[in-house]
Amino acid sequence: MNSFDTVTSFAIILLAAAIHASFQLSVSVLTLLSGHALGRKSARSRLLKLVYGFIAGAAVITVLLLSTFAFVLLSASADALLTLWTLVCGAAIAVGIAVWLFYYRERRGTTLWIPRSFADFLASRSKHSKNTAEAFGLGMTSVFAEIVFVFVPLVITALVLTELPYDLQLVGILAYSLVSIAPLLFVGLRIANGHKLSHIQKWRETNKHFLQFAAGSGLLVLGMYVYVERVMNVVLVQLGGA
Amino acid sequence: MGLAIDVVKRSGRRPPESFDRDKLLRSIRAACLSVRAPEGEAESAANNVVGAVIIWLDNKSTVTSDDLRRLAGEHLEKYHPDAAYLYQHHRIIM
Repeated sequence: MNSFDTVTSFAIILLAAAIHASFQLSVSVLTLLSGHALGRKSARSRLLKLVYGFIAGAAVITVLLLSTFAFVLLSASADALLTLWTLVCGAAIAVGIAVWLFYYRERRGTTLWIPRSFADFLASRSKHSKNTAEAFGLGMTSVFAEIVFVFVPLVITALVLTELPYDLQLVGILAYSLVSIAPLLFVGLRIANGHKLSHIQKWRETNKHFLQFAAGSGLLVLGMYVYVERVMNVVLVQLGGA
Repeated sequence: MGLAIDVVKRSGRRPPESFDRDKLLRSIRAACLSVRAPEGEAESAANNVVGAVIIWLDNKSTVTSDDLRRLAGEHLEKYHPDAAYLYQHHRIIM
């Protein structure tokens, strides 16, 4: 099976990471967590520990998920990988359409697709997270809670990583993780610099349909590009050689 | 402090509870503090809003928690629009 060149590989990783970054559950939970901490009159140092603990949790679970997927795929055969590429391309297109249709609920605010009982649980945990360890766990949970959507960019990145040399695999994992948590870092920095949560939330609400469109379109583009490049090319080469 | 008014919870699954002035005060103060209002301003806005809500509650025996939140949000808008925005949107952030 042919491999992508390094530049194309990193372009795919960065696009996948940008798609991951456009999903909003973690940002919602971080907004609630910060709001509760500020409402309790927490000291600035405590607030920052909670915010950065949360972001660290999100980053760690992203690295763990990506590394695990890549580790498992390293031992897969070429035929199995071709099947997986095909499946994940189909999943990217299906999830992309689902994001367009269902990602936000049809109401005011930034209410997401997740079951209400689960949203209530996360909201309750954000209220009761008062130390760094709890915020760290909440950050991990918030990424895991969106696995239905983020598994596509994660698996595509893992598949690309298996084709890279070992040293570049590490760079790829770090690049993906950094880009995927960029919105959390941005919100965290805004909170640290004293910006009002209401302004952040208003921006999110105003631009939610753009983010939804960008995430869905990104998945469609990624799925179709990878399908043509990774599946059709290989199949055509095999047919030509037969 | 509890008035003799039942508050019907949003989901309807939990039993009604008595209106708790302090609970409402705390939630409004927290909304003000979460948009970095000074403590005195938060306290003053919360007291004003709770006062207005208590006047509205006069002669009522039962209200819903949604009504309380909507009304408190509307009054808070006069004192602190940013806090009112977060207070009204708290349940629809996620």
